[in-house]
Amino acid sequence: MSIIALLYCLLLIVVSAIGLTWYGRLTVPFKILTFSVLAVLLINVLSAIYSSKYKNNAPILQAESIIEYLFYSATYYYLFKSKMIRMAIIGSMILVTIFFFINALFLQPFHKVFPTNIYLPTQVLYVIFSLLLFKQMLLYPVNINIVKQSVFWYNTAMLFYATTMFLTLGLTNYYSAHKINDYAIYYFWYFSSFIFHILIGVSLLAYNRKINTAHAR
Amino acid sequence: MPGENISTLILATAVLFAGITGFIIYFIILYRNKQLINKQEQERLQSEFRNEILRAQIEMQEQTLTNISREIHDNISQVLSFVKLDLALTDGMAEPDKQQKINSSRELLSQTINDLRNLSKSLSFEYIAVNGLVKTIETEVERINNSGLLGLSMSIEGESYSLGEQHELVLFRIFQEALNNTLKHASAKHLKISLQYFNHLFTLTLEDDGDGFSKELRYNQSGSGLKNMENRAVLIGAVATIESSPGKGCCIKISLNPLEQQVYADGNYPNSPG
Repeated sequence: MSIIALLYCLLLIVVSAIGLTWYGRLTVPFKILTFSVLAVLLINVLSAIYSSKYKNNAPILQAESIIEYLFYSATYYYLFKSKMIRMAIIGSMILVTIFFFINALFLQPFHKVFPTNIYLPTQVLYVIFSLLLFKQMLLYPVNINIVKQSVFWYNTAMLFYATTMFLTLGLTNYYSAHKINDYAIYYFWYFSSFIFHILIGVSLLAYNRKINTAHAR
Repeated sequence: MPGENISTLILATAVLFAGITGFIIYFIILYRNKQLINKQEQERLQSEFRNEILRAQIEMQEQTLTNISREIHDNISQVLSFVKLDLALTDGMAEPDKQQKINSSRELLSQTINDLRNLSKSLSFEYIAVNGLVKTIETEVERINNSGLLGLSMSIEGESYSLGEQHELVLFRIFQEALNNTLKHASAKHLKISLQYFNHLFTLTLEDDGDGFSKELRYNQSGSGLKNMENRAVLIGAVATIESSPGKGCCIKISLNPLEQQVYADGNYPNSPG
């Protein structure tokens, strides 16, 4: 395991520790978010093990693509007030899960290929959810400083994550097509993952029950 | 080439970060403006709410004074004059007749004392705050029934709970206004009052058997009490439904979800996404 990967795991441990410390006070979406960080931590450890033992972490990355989507979209499900959007999120969870199995069985084999077919559409969905949540925030503003609002930090994290992942995937494809060494992408991916989980950590630290009880269902 | 790769990546990253940062800054500015507008609107609504509560209190006091003066004029002073006259007639009466007059005067006096005691339970805001809406309406029903002006019947469904002092004050003022309308304009003989207390719904219904009125008449009357009732109901987050037609009486129904707090009543926005 490289130093950067170890540092990343350390960050995930710290963020999940924040979530678990506050767990009893968190509302449902932020409890799910805490579990998502734990899941990412577990996946990273497994990925490192698979890489060193089998020289192939594709199955883990395949599993990560669907697990991440289910966690993040479930978090969004609880944050939205609109019934229509909530139903659409449930629908997307079902469709993405079905597509995940089709993709893993027929298009991008589970044990061989990184599942770009899953990552690309889910990143687009994250951007849509994020923009819709920002819109919802504008429709129902609260008289509390925005930097103390965990929803704002979570949503910013998701917007950042989805757009950088999109860029990462795009550049990876480009570099691979032009047979260019992609070590820079590797560090860029870690860099954006660091920022993403730092923002998630901030959202859990800035957690304000007064604001977020509205989202707990 | 590694140098080229990195510069492409740095450029792409810079553009992306600039875009995201720009968007976030724009969002924060928009959000702050919204917060400001929202705060101003909230303050305006709070001030309107306070004014309306004050107006309702003043109107209730006026109504109370009118009731007291009417009661003193129509009942107490009449009885006392009668007693005075009766006692004046006892001069030169035979002892048994005199005793009978004195006894009947004593009875009348004790009835007047009772009436005065009832009157002292003035229907003020403090009375609602201490006794609650149900008891206050019951007292009013008893007073009107005793006066013989109108036959009132009251029913309560479910276990009563407090709706909050200000909400109950406004509801009572609506009730008082509806009762006044029935007494003054409806030519009704009977008014049925029902209060329903459910978990997520409170309803106050007033149904009279009076003349009723047409829709046109309702909307033509400028500054009508009916409009007042509707506005007051909206103020506490309730819905007023007024149904009437000529010759078929009038039914006023006020529905309120006690769990839904109003932004101007408590200064919070419970449904905000934050």
